[in-house]
Amino acid sequence: MNTWTTRLDNPLSVRLRDASVTGYAGLGLGVFAAFLAIPPIEARAVVWPILAGILGASLGVWTVTRGRRRLGWGAVAAGVIGIGLGILATRSSAGNLSSVFDATLFAQTLSFATPLIFGAIGGMFSERSGVVNIGLEGMMVMGAFWGVYGADKGNSWALGLVVAMGAGGLIALVYAFFAIQLRSDQIVGGTGVNFLAVGITGYFFVTLYHNNPIPNGVPLLPNVHIAGLGHFLEGSIGDLNILTWAGLALVVVSYVVMFKTPIGLRIRACGEHPRAADTVGINVYAIRYGCVVLSGVLAATGGIYLSEGPQGNGSFLFDMPQGVGFIALAALIFGNWRPAGAFAAALLFGFSTAIGLRLQVYSASYATLFNALPFILTLIAVAGVIGRTVAPAADGKPYAKQ
Amino acid sequence: MANPDPVSQTEDLVLEMRGIRKEFPGVVANDEVSFEVRRGEVHALLGENGAGKSTLMNILYGLYKPDGGEIRVNGKPVSFSSAREAIQAGIGMVHQHFMLIPVMTVAENIVLGIEPSKGFLLDESGAEQRVRELSQQYGLAVDPGALVSDITVGQEQRVEILKALYRGADLLILDEPTAVLTPQEATELFQIIRSLQADGKSIIFITHKLNEVLEIADRITVLRRGKTIETAPRAGATEASLARAMVGREVLLRVEKGASDVGDVLLDVKDLHVLDDRGIEKVRGVSFTVHAGEIVGIAGVDGNGQSELIDALAGLQKVQQGTITVDGRDISEATPRQALDAGVGHIPEDRQRRGLVLEFSISENVALHDYASPPDARWGWIFPGRMVEHAKRLIKDFDVRGGGPFTRAGGLSGGNQQKLVAAREIDRDPKFLIAAQPTRGLDVGAIEYLHRRLVSERDEGRAILLVSLELEEILSLSDRILVLYEGRIVGEHTSDVSEEEIGLKMLGGKEKTAA
Repeated sequence: MNTWTTRLDNPLSVRLRDASVTGYAGLGLGVFAAFLAIPPIEARAVVWPILAGILGASLGVWTVTRGRRRLGWGAVAAGVIGIGLGILATRSSAGNLSSVFDATLFAQTLSFATPLIFGAIGGMFSERSGVVNIGLEGMMVMGAFWGVYGADKGNSWALGLVVAMGAGGLIALVYAFFAIQLRSDQIVGGTGVNFLAVGITGYFFVTLYHNNPIPNGVPLLPNVHIAGLGHFLEGSIGDLNILTWAGLALVVVSYVVMFKTPIGLRIRACGEHPRAADTVGINVYAIRYGCVVLSGVLAATGGIYLSEGPQGNGSFLFDMPQGVGFIALAALIFGNWRPAGAFAAALLFGFSTAIGLRLQVYSASYATLFNALPFILTLIAVAGVIGRTVAPAADGKPYAKQ
Repeated sequence: MANPDPVSQTEDLVLEMRGIRKEFPGVVANDEVSFEVRRGEVHALLGENGAGKSTLMNILYGLYKPDGGEIRVNGKPVSFSSAREAIQAGIGMVHQHFMLIPVMTVAENIVLGIEPSKGFLLDESGAEQRVRELSQQYGLAVDPGALVSDITVGQEQRVEILKALYRGADLLILDEPTAVLTPQEATELFQIIRSLQADGKSIIFITHKLNEVLEIADRITVLRRGKTIETAPRAGATEASLARAMVGREVLLRVEKGASDVGDVLLDVKDLHVLDDRGIEKVRGVSFTVHAGEIVGIAGVDGNGQSELIDALAGLQKVQQGTITVDGRDISEATPRQALDAGVGHIPEDRQRRGLVLEFSISENVALHDYASPPDARWGWIFPGRMVEHAKRLIKDFDVRGGGPFTRAGGLSGGNQQKLVAAREIDRDPKFLIAAQPTRGLDVGAIEYLHRRLVSERDEGRAILLVSLELEEILSLSDRILVLYEGRIVGEHTSDVSEEEIGLKMLGGKEKTAA
């Protein structure tokens, strides 16, 4: 069937015909089609997105015939959607467009991505050690409330951060006890954590603040101002929150820890084959406890960003994260349980949230539709269109010593 | 051999276990067991399943705490409470089910737990270097940078041995090491064992295969029902004498079977193609027949299309191309139910996952196929009493021990579970019977029973397809042997073919002898 491709011994041309290369190229062209009309490219003719989309879709069809069906159909779908979005964009006025796409879009994307990064990296530690953590949402609630409380009472955002991390670590410790020591079902246990966190924060919110809004003047997490970068850069990274920078550092640090150090090797061993780890003398329980508590601390850091960050203004609302913890979990899965992947997914989700807000200038219904994008993308990723995501083999399986 | 005069080293004991006792609720697993290993010897620990070999080794490796007795390593009394302490005392264990992490490299698996480091970071190249040195020192060829998921089972075993050596093991426990290997790989393993021995390592070789014991061991200790029966030098031991010590009675090692009385073609497979669950073609154009009164053996290394072939014959996997005919009836498109009704009996590879519902009672398991038809049921109503009667009859006919009709199937021993599956399948009077790995993991007594039963079913005029990874089983039972390699039949032999010839074909023919 493919004798003529193998007969060509030029490695580059063979590689370019490789099904996965054409599939990803098709996906990329589909996405590109949607962005042709917006800055910085600003192609105003309808023909360009149509052309790019058709090219992407045909690469997809080629990929399907080479056997990579899921990837191929994904590229076809991306091409078709890209044509639709591209046409919509070329038809809208240039003024509207530039109000949606400008330098602050980048800053806003990073801002929305920040809690997701902390949540997803936290989740990564827990799940790489073999404990599924759907309690991220609850751990974030803890961070959001106790962070405000600490900052209010201590009159210092740093103290708030410490209190938030402590509260997240504490509820994670409770979860770890159930999931590791008592070997209870981790989905049920994680759901319990989510409810427990809402209950605890709700109770103390009423008791401590009598259900009134938290007083004004609570010190907020500061932004880091960087001047003299030029117009575009200053607009995008000149005024980011301190936690956003910390999140970017966390991505690098967590990668090094997880994949380049002995402790990371042990954590991954516990998540893949705990008995093998046990037989070489690794304390599986200790590793898992440590990782789950760390995931609580990190998720709570993401949580305090919601109440004490630029979008929160130092006020706490019931059920504050509104699903951010679950989206972080989705980013973790979308990113294949790897720091860089989770970061990319968090950026994508942050971008879709940011653009959803800006699309209000067109219509509120489009904007709402855009907010659903993270979930649709996650569904597509889990269904295996863009490569297959593989969870750690022992993820979610309690370990019993012999 | 490598150890010219073991007797002169009597005083130099690496390990002494005296009067070891271990009780589990209701069972005495080790009853005053004594066991010793000299420095530099290969000591075989022989016994049936449940004889107490694993318990004894788990005690030695620190996984169980003994109820009584004394353990000395290099003359010093020890009491291990975890594997880590046993490792520190120089004991290494290669488990029957490998303890390797597929997504990590060979080097990562070996150094896990005592990793070389540069500051905070893992010293990846140092680890690979160390592994390379060790593997050269003992002739254990592996690629330190390869992912474990990409290497063969034989190589995985070498990684396990290297893991123990990396931890400084002087005494190696090999638990059923040849169970997963081809004959060629087993020969290589024996060479490795001899080179370890030459280096002064002591080896405990746990097995129930008698020929291997006679080939590799310096001394042999036989356990039976938790007691030490004897410790004897290899010289003077025979397969028959060891089998008698293991089982406690005379055992028929060779299956006694007369010439086959071949009748009509009952199974006719033509140009069969089958895909596996991931859509990869695993059976690629297989044609063969099985006649009434004949056992046809399918030999091959695991993963060469056996499972897909069996599933297609039983109606469990879709046939991509080709036909399957049972006694003149085309079942290529049949559902499992239609295949059963056409006269196919199926003893599946994995009795615990596919043969039985472990949480069901024996009587419910017996009724799994015919629960919906008389006499078990009528007018949509099940009659449990009749199921129980049926189960009682089969328990008696097939000598299923360890429970009655209401016993949970999961509570039976492996041998009795397999007898139960065989009973259910044979009792339906199939024309064509698939026996997939019928004796995997069973002890000598149960193997003897099942082999005799298969031969007697053959003599009844059934067509039997025996699929097994145990070459010895294929050779001793089959009237004709087909070798399956990468989804194709690469050889057909009569039962007098040599083990080496089949072994070569299993690895893809003569041109790949070096593999």
